[in-house]
Amino acid sequence: MKIVVLVKYSLDVAEIRVDPATRALRMSGVPQRFGDLDKGAVEAAVRLKETTADVLVEVLCFGPPEARGAAKDLLAMGADSATVVEDPYGGSAEAAIAVRVIEAALRKSAPFDLVLCGFASDDGYSYQTGPRLAERLGLPFVSYASQINLDRGALVADRDLEDGIQTVSAPLPVVVSVAEEAFVPRSVTLLQAMKAQKKPTSVLSLADLGLSTEALEGVGGYRLLAETGTVVSRRQRLLKGGDVTELADQFIDALVDEEVLVLNGGA
Amino acid sequence: MARILVWSERPELARELLGEARRLADQSEGEVGLCVSGEMTPSELDSYAAYGAHVLYLTNKAFLDPAEWVGILGLVIAHAEAGLVLIGATKTGMEVAARVAERCEASYAAWAVEIGLDAESGHTTAACMLYAGAGLATYAFSRPLTVLSVAQGTFEARDQAGRAARVESLELGEAIAQLTVIGERPKSAGGPRLEEAKAIVDIGRGVKRLEDLEMIRQLADLLGGQLSCSRPVSSDRDWLPEWLGLSGAKVKPELCVTLGVSGAIQHVVGIRESRVIAAVNNDEEAAIFAQADVGVVADLDEFLPILIERLQARGAGPAWS
Repeated sequence: MKIVVLVKYSLDVAEIRVDPATRALRMSGVPQRFGDLDKGAVEAAVRLKETTADVLVEVLCFGPPEARGAAKDLLAMGADSATVVEDPYGGSAEAAIAVRVIEAALRKSAPFDLVLCGFASDDGYSYQTGPRLAERLGLPFVSYASQINLDRGALVADRDLEDGIQTVSAPLPVVVSVAEEAFVPRSVTLLQAMKAQKKPTSVLSLADLGLSTEALEGVGGYRLLAETGTVVSRRQRLLKGGDVTELADQFIDALVDEEVLVLNGGA
Repeated sequence: MARILVWSERPELARELLGEARRLADQSEGEVGLCVSGEMTPSELDSYAAYGAHVLYLTNKAFLDPAEWVGILGLVIAHAEAGLVLIGATKTGMEVAARVAERCEASYAAWAVEIGLDAESGHTTAACMLYAGAGLATYAFSRPLTVLSVAQGTFEARDQAGRAARVESLELGEAIAQLTVIGERPKSAGGPRLEEAKAIVDIGRGVKRLEDLEMIRQLADLLGGQLSCSRPVSSDRDWLPEWLGLSGAKVKPELCVTLGVSGAIQHVVGIRESRVIAAVNNDEEAAIFAQADVGVVADLDEFLPILIERLQARGAGPAWS
């Protein structure tokens, strides 16, 4: 059976800075990497490979050419091959467009039994790829999976929802998004990393998939009018050092200054 | 005339979305529809009217499967000729919103925090959280239908007595469920809703021991607040049922005291609307200090017992009680 894992070469959002004067987002120099959610999806696939006979795990990424080299880390985790579809939009494509590209790559890679992805990307965080793909492929969709098992041609999974855990089954092929931190990515040994160097990676262009930016032009649903950083206007008073009792008193005084505490007695 | 449809499986979130939908609709004598399901008492239906719905689209079944909701909303959108759909950004809501957008070929953006609707053209614009909340993007939507997902606590529910709504019952065809539900087990029940707390004591990964929760609860009592936490503390350690952040609850208390919270943006989004943020962390470089009004660089084990002692000794209490 074949499992395709969708991964995004994401921006490290913790490194995004905001220009305090213009409120512009400073995007240059923000590093990119495969996010924890994406690695979690790879981990889920590799675990299935370890417990099920004849499983092939393919990693698929719509992203920059650098993702090809970085995908070696995912191959070291146990995936068998990696494909990068080169992104001509520089990471700014709407989800509706990205999903069409991924759909085309999946159809090229068919037949597959399972498509796995993180429930959201680490940077966009808009929860769209899995559900949109399931709609486009006409496949069942199991979201927020925290446990995944294969049982005689069907998938059985736990869905991690706000109020409870729901166990569901769905026929294959199926699209599955994995829950946060449900599948902690394994650490990789040096030997695994060396073996991964020999595993196949490939790069495809939109044209290889029969697509073009012109043909995808009408797919998007919005125009970006403005983009601003969230500016924090907090007082940022920092108390440190010295005697802990004094520190506690200064803290209490600060909260009284902020009018969230009142003192009714004592010193 | 704007036709706006609202759906959330969480009644309190649906009421907030109705508040914003009604505000937008009133600018152009538009109409607000609400999709509800299952057994509804007349007084529940009346309350949705008071919160702003002109029409209640009532389906005869309580749903479990997101695919069924996608099907229902697709039908109601066509029937109501909706131009804008607001969906509550719960886990189920986020899945349903993206699927409905794909199925109905709608414009879609997640995490809307401000919505504009041009009364004449019907064109929708929205400011939406970007990069997990680090930024804000404003979009102009181009398709006949726009779908937006909206987190709880973004808009205000406004009820007004004397409003009435007409009810349209929908008969559903054959089942369109894609998943077979084998079992369900509830998570441990939460306390009172965090969204209503005046003060929050927010526990991060820097709090190491479950035993410390007792002391932290004592601090929360002194501040007149409730306990909450970041996602790893809830989902990995299962200390508390509900977490704050982009994927959890978003709160706007008078005071939020964070303990051992690093300040990752995905979590800060859940607390940054607090009036006052105070942070305790032993790492002076922690990102949380840039997000706080008052910060203390201290070891929690040393600082907390003494803080509690001093709060008691000085007779400190919340300013609002």
